[in-house]
Amino acid sequence: MNGDEFDVAQCLRRVREQDLEAARVLVERLYPQIIRIVRSHLPARAAEEDLAQEIFAKLFARLDQYEQRRGVPFTHWVSRLAVRTCLDALRAERRRPELRWADLPDEQAEWLQFMLADETPPPEASPTSARELLEKLLAQLPPADRLILHALDLEERPVKEVAALTGWSVTLVKVRAFRARRKLRKLALVFKENHPYETL
Amino acid sequence: MKHFDQRWQICATHARQAARRDEESPFGFASRVASRAREAQPSPSDLISARQALVWLGGALAVLALCAALELPHWHGEPPLQTGIENAVAQLVWSL
Repeated sequence: MNGDEFDVAQCLRRVREQDLEAARVLVERLYPQIIRIVRSHLPARAAEEDLAQEIFAKLFARLDQYEQRRGVPFTHWVSRLAVRTCLDALRAERRRPELRWADLPDEQAEWLQFMLADETPPPEASPTSARELLEKLLAQLPPADRLILHALDLEERPVKEVAALTGWSVTLVKVRAFRARRKLRKLALVFKENHPYETL
Repeated sequence: MKHFDQRWQICATHARQAARRDEESPFGFASRVASRAREAQPSPSDLISARQALVWLGGALAVLALCAALELPHWHGEPPLQTGIENAVAQLVWSL
């Protein structure tokens, strides 16, 4: 069941017949897809493995529901389930971690400085530090806003795909993205006002 | 701040170049999850027991309905005791 030989329908049939090996293969097959979603929408105090496990538990419990919705590819159904579970976990998080200049490593602070300044060239700092900073900035936004901007800007997913993933309409995705960017600008403004350096 | 959106996009472009973290499932994860999923699902014997319980419940309800149907024509809302018996009880209580 490796590579192109993987037959989803057959695997699902075997899982429904309580074939343990088929269930194990299905988990291994879906893990990269699910862990990418989990890492994009992970609450601050949650372990990615625990959340992934919760998603798989829901997946197996609701496997019969998938059969009723014909025409939807299995991977889309799984992605949607994963996104919804992550959103629920994010909503359950009562307080978002506060972002402070003092807590940022130097490279991330350089990226933030670049974003807030008007004429500074991009820093030489690593792409990883840019990603980590963006993740931290997005974590300041409400779950739905975070999800939208992460999918559109960091994962470069088309609007249509984000709409399919979330179950929202294309218009709603665009409106939410617009509002999320506005919130992000406001957030950046607050950072700029509280900036410890005089160079900006 | 007017260039914030452009700078955000530049930063996002750099961020996308970051190396992807390992996406292989941790050792034993798949087996653990698969086993738990199997345990969570009702076993065939549980399903049979549940089905039998439903059959018994249905049978009991049918018997109850049959008894009620047989008893209904004889029910006229009569008082619990006949008048004579009622008087005898009252006299007995009075004499005590």
